[in-house]
Amino acid sequence: MKDFLTMLKRSPAAIIGISILLLWILIAIFGPSISPYTYTAMDMENQMTAPGQGGHLLGTDSLGRDVLTRIMYGSRTILTIALMTSLFSSIAGIIIGFSAGYFGGNIDTIFLRVMDIVMAIPPLVLSMVVLGILGDSSILSLTIIVSIAYTPATARVARGALLSCKGFEYVDAARIRGENHLYIMFVEILPNTIGPVLVEITARFAYSIMMIASLGFLGVGLQPPTPDWGMMVIENKSIIREAPWTVLYPSLAIASLVIAISLFSDFVNKVMVNDK
Amino acid sequence: MTNDFVLQIKNLSVSYRTLNDAVSAVRNINLNVGKKESLGIIGESGCGKSTLSYALMDYLPSNGSSTGEVLFRGENLLTKTQKEMMAFRGNRIAMVYQNPYSSLNPSLTIGYQLDEVTMFHRGYKAKKARKASVEALADLYIGDPAGVARRYPHQVSGGMQQRICIAMALLCRPDLIILDEPTTALDVTTEVVILDIIGELKEKYDMSMIYISHDIGVINKVSDRIAVMYRGEVVEVGDQRTIFKHPEHPYTRALINCMPRAGVVKEEVRLNTIPGYVARRSAADTGCPFVDRCEKRNADCEAKYGMIERASGHFAACDRAYAEDVPDRKRAALKIPKVGNGSAKEEILLEISDLYKYYGNQHRRVRALDGVSVSLEKNSVLGVVGESGCGKSTMGHTISGLMAPTKGKILFDGIDISISWKQRTPEVLRDIQLIFQNPGRSLNPSFTLEKIIGRPMKKLLGIQSREERKKRIVDILQKVDLGEEYLYRKATQLSGGEKQRAAVARAFSIAPDLIVCDEPTSALDVSVQASVLNLLGDLQNESGAAYIFISHDLNVINYISDYIMVMYLGRICEYGRKDEVVGPPYHPYTQALLSAVPDVDPSLIREPVRLEGSPPNPTRKITGCPFAGRCHRKIGPICDTTPPPKVQASDDHYIMCHLPLDQLGDAELDKPGNLTKTESLMKTVKA
Amino acid sequence: MQFLTWLIKRLGFVILTLVAMSMLIFLLVEVMPGDVAQTVLGQSATPESVAALRESMGLDDPLPVRYGRWAGGFIQGDLGESLYMRGVQINTIFWRKVGHSVILALTALLFYVPLSIFFGVLAGVKAGKLTDSIISFFGLATMALPEFVSGILLITLFSVKLSILPITSVIPIGQSLWGNLHILILPALSITFVMFGYVSRMQRSSMVTVMNSDYIRAATLKGMPRGYVIFRHALRNALLPTITIIGMNMGWLFGGLIVVETLFGFPGLGSLTLSAIKTRDIPLIEACVLFITAIFVFSTFLTDMLYVYLNPRIRFKGGDA
Repeated sequence: MKDFLTMLKRSPAAIIGISILLLWILIAIFGPSISPYTYTAMDMENQMTAPGQGGHLLGTDSLGRDVLTRIMYGSRTILTIALMTSLFSSIAGIIIGFSAGYFGGNIDTIFLRVMDIVMAIPPLVLSMVVLGILGDSSILSLTIIVSIAYTPATARVARGALLSCKGFEYVDAARIRGENHLYIMFVEILPNTIGPVLVEITARFAYSIMMIASLGFLGVGLQPPTPDWGMMVIENKSIIREAPWTVLYPSLAIASLVIAISLFSDFVNKVMVNDK
Repeated sequence: MTNDFVLQIKNLSVSYRTLNDAVSAVRNINLNVGKKESLGIIGESGCGKSTLSYALMDYLPSNGSSTGEVLFRGENLLTKTQKEMMAFRGNRIAMVYQNPYSSLNPSLTIGYQLDEVTMFHRGYKAKKARKASVEALADLYIGDPAGVARRYPHQVSGGMQQRICIAMALLCRPDLIILDEPTTALDVTTEVVILDIIGELKEKYDMSMIYISHDIGVINKVSDRIAVMYRGEVVEVGDQRTIFKHPEHPYTRALINCMPRAGVVKEEVRLNTIPGYVARRSAADTGCPFVDRCEKRNADCEAKYGMIERASGHFAACDRAYAEDVPDRKRAALKIPKVGNGSAKEEILLEISDLYKYYGNQHRRVRALDGVSVSLEKNSVLGVVGESGCGKSTMGHTISGLMAPTKGKILFDGIDISISWKQRTPEVLRDIQLIFQNPGRSLNPSFTLEKIIGRPMKKLLGIQSREERKKRIVDILQKVDLGEEYLYRKATQLSGGEKQRAAVARAFSIAPDLIVCDEPTSALDVSVQASVLNLLGDLQNESGAAYIFISHDLNVINYISDYIMVMYLGRICEYGRKDEVVGPPYHPYTQALLSAVPDVDPSLIREPVRLEGSPPNPTRKITGCPFAGRCHRKIGPICDTTPPPKVQASDDHYIMCHLPLDQLGDAELDKPGNLTKTESLMKTVKA
Repeated sequence: MQFLTWLIKRLGFVILTLVAMSMLIFLLVEVMPGDVAQTVLGQSATPESVAALRESMGLDDPLPVRYGRWAGGFIQGDLGESLYMRGVQINTIFWRKVGHSVILALTALLFYVPLSIFFGVLAGVKAGKLTDSIISFFGLATMALPEFVSGILLITLFSVKLSILPITSVIPIGQSLWGNLHILILPALSITFVMFGYVSRMQRSSMVTVMNSDYIRAATLKGMPRGYVIFRHALRNALLPTITIIGMNMGWLFGGLIVVETLFGFPGLGSLTLSAIKTRDIPLIEACVLFITAIFVFSTFLTDMLYVYLNPRIRFKGGDA
């Protein structure tokens, strides 16, 4: 932990990243309650007002809805889903990837082949098809589907992390002491893979944001009127010339969040993996 | 020419900036290398010997900086730009590295990598360059050099790769060649041949040489003069005989004394050790680098520190040196009963009969163990020796249960244990322990010693109370010279020697009957190796456990074992009491091994037996003697077609050889039929 | 000989993957809730007409029979008939759009492959220096940036502010893509952003690994000039992992195409897939997804071959001397 702080002091990019991330978390928690508007409130006198005018800090969209308020509400859903997705897919990935790598042999071969096949459908396409056909996406269905779509990738990372430890003799020592497989996998090996696993969780967090924003953009994410950053962009794309803020600010919100998490993830990688 | 020196190093210091401070890797080095002279630099890991060699080439990482002068034929290399250095590197000063495989580019052919040297430095055109490369390969006694030039590095063996690296270094006939541990990654019998070639070519091309190694025996063989390095400084320099016969610096003396060597056995001698470990040296530390570990230190150490000329050309950084040669400490207190002296036999603990272990599938079957039968008495040590790939580790792993053998029987105390850990009973798992080669890998880096040593107690002895376990752990930690304060340290916070002590503690914590030691000291520095060997000897004597001690180092095996078994390609060549195995009559392979082992006593250096080639492909089925392909005493076709008989030389001394016993003595082996040096070198290349 | 057996094995696996994929896609799409016949006829349809349509479409047949019919058609090049646009053979609209998408993908590849390799190598060679920090930061920032976000930023700059490129990438009626190549620029650049982040970071790290290897040190200490060491000794080895990464990410590229084509209104496979999903046009969805998968499988296969060709350690296995 001390190392962590000293390392943090030396890395301005990580400080920026973590600050932006914390800011977004604060906005997600407190933002909506301090906003004078609700995300559906339509200000009929102020449609497509430019930022700063008519009491709308970031302007309004074609229906007169406050862009800032919708962004603040949108941060709640996207952060929640992305966080759950990165956690669930990582946990599922660890269980599957660890089992495959640990038992090796035919189990591993089958795992690899199945993963090759499943990974042949890009995660975005897979989620899009399933969510699109199911219709009426909810936070729950988004979380489940995106987690499943990402699991092959996390499982591969977890398998790799396990394999890098499996050859160590402390695993052999545990075996000839008669430890069971679960003990070896999760008590002996897991603590030593914590670096790559944490890096994977944080990186997956960034990719989850990307995926959920993209699904919203494609119209198969959360359904209106729930505010969704990706959806805000596609809804207003046709008025980009007249009211560029309606698409620019949600885009910047996504960009800042994704970049902040990526910087954080890179820092975790530097601390946990590279400098070990 | 103002002087005869090819290289003069004056006050050379190298330091590295780290996050918190500056580390002094090399400091105040003053060394000269004369024309055609060979300077050996010896030191343990972390003493700065490799850093020194890169500093000579003016090649340091970006956080490193050097001061002082490196005069190569009068020109100071440290003031040259990287561009100017190009004219020296590979041309007038060449280098050979420890790991030949990683030093060759995997995606370029061997010929390409050789050709470019002369094309750049000599301006040769492709054809002429290739001709020079092929000649250089032929110089190294590589058969079919033109064919080898067309291959990629991964297609040739390790010994061959190192020859190629040496050929590459010699292409431009450099004035100075720097060899950084060139044989460390190779087997002893391969090492002998490479050392021979190096010596021969040095004469042929009038080169000067700097040879860097941690291995005192190797340095002894190749050097005219020797510099001893410790924590970044040269503490003693002098000619080879003086350094070995009359070392003046306490560190040199201690280093030489802690090596297990011919004639030194545990029954008579406790190896000398150097207490403590090599600490990192910050740029701010001054004074004698060895003072914290020195037995001879006194109040004057600080004031008097500095190089002193003890005799002409012999400098040492200490005047409290040994005036006379000090004998080894005799082991008086420990009286170890000689085993198996024809008297009543001890009870048999382990009996292995006809053990086979195959890897791979039916297309590519590696015969790691090819019919091994041996037995082990209670409270005795069986040393298993052989080169890499001889199956010695596989044997250890089948006994300890990491894997089940393909065929054959292992009886442990009457119980059949030719099964893997999955099927073994907790009692068997408890009674057989394994100590691994690399303690850094065998101790879980995430756990404290309490958990590492306590877990087997809980699991196999069933001690549920944590307090009870803690008490026992502290006891056992003290036995291995680690204090109570180590209880909550993690493995990553320990030095290499401490880690291996902890691993030994783990093995002994549950009072096993048999401990398989798989190269337990190979990853350690010699000074640390000595203390671990002493510890293993003491604990074995005290606990009455039996050992199967596996090592590639015949001196170590000879020190610790009661019985020795020599293995080659999965089979036993020779087995017997240790004094019988290391003395005549020998199996030809044992003799070759014995002669190849570098010794620290210059008077004991023998003319080594040079073996042809490298061990054959272990996937090939062998009908005759496994050693036939490389044997210098091969009789004829019978060696290839018929398995050698098990000839009984004495009560428990067996040799598997077609030759009659009376022809396996020292004199017979050294004389007729034995190839001359050059003949054997010529033959070594046959693929 | 060795290579031939490898090739046959690998090809076998390609076919196996495609078959497994087709089953998976078929199952995925067919078991989804919702009655196809009902969808086609609308909510007001009578149960009798729905049943009749089910009968005529063969929807009441067991799953394996339907899969067989579908896959059989596929093998013969018959992609079936669209559900949404009744009576339209998928073949008549599909391939033109695939062509557009392939051209867009190739344009994007043309942008990002040289860029990311160049900057990745540069960052790797200058590791720890300012150049490296800038390139690495940029790569990190774009690595997980959704394509539509970079697209919006590009549109704001080039279309709204500078007005030099169109906001949408629609092909005017009666014209072909070849006459309107400039509409490819912004979509391809949008994809370049995210791909650059990923590929350049990979290239950098493999370059750093190679530059720190023993054989690069050996080459330098043989007196070879730095530029020569980088180009002759380092580059080839450092490119190997990148080639794999580029091949493995072809799937991602096509996922990105869907987003980008939607943003720019580009008439390609991606926007076709999305509209198929939106209209629940089952046969069209199946055709689109299977095609995207096939592209992924074949590009992985091609990169594998390239990898083997460039890596002598695999090309010439074993052979002791």
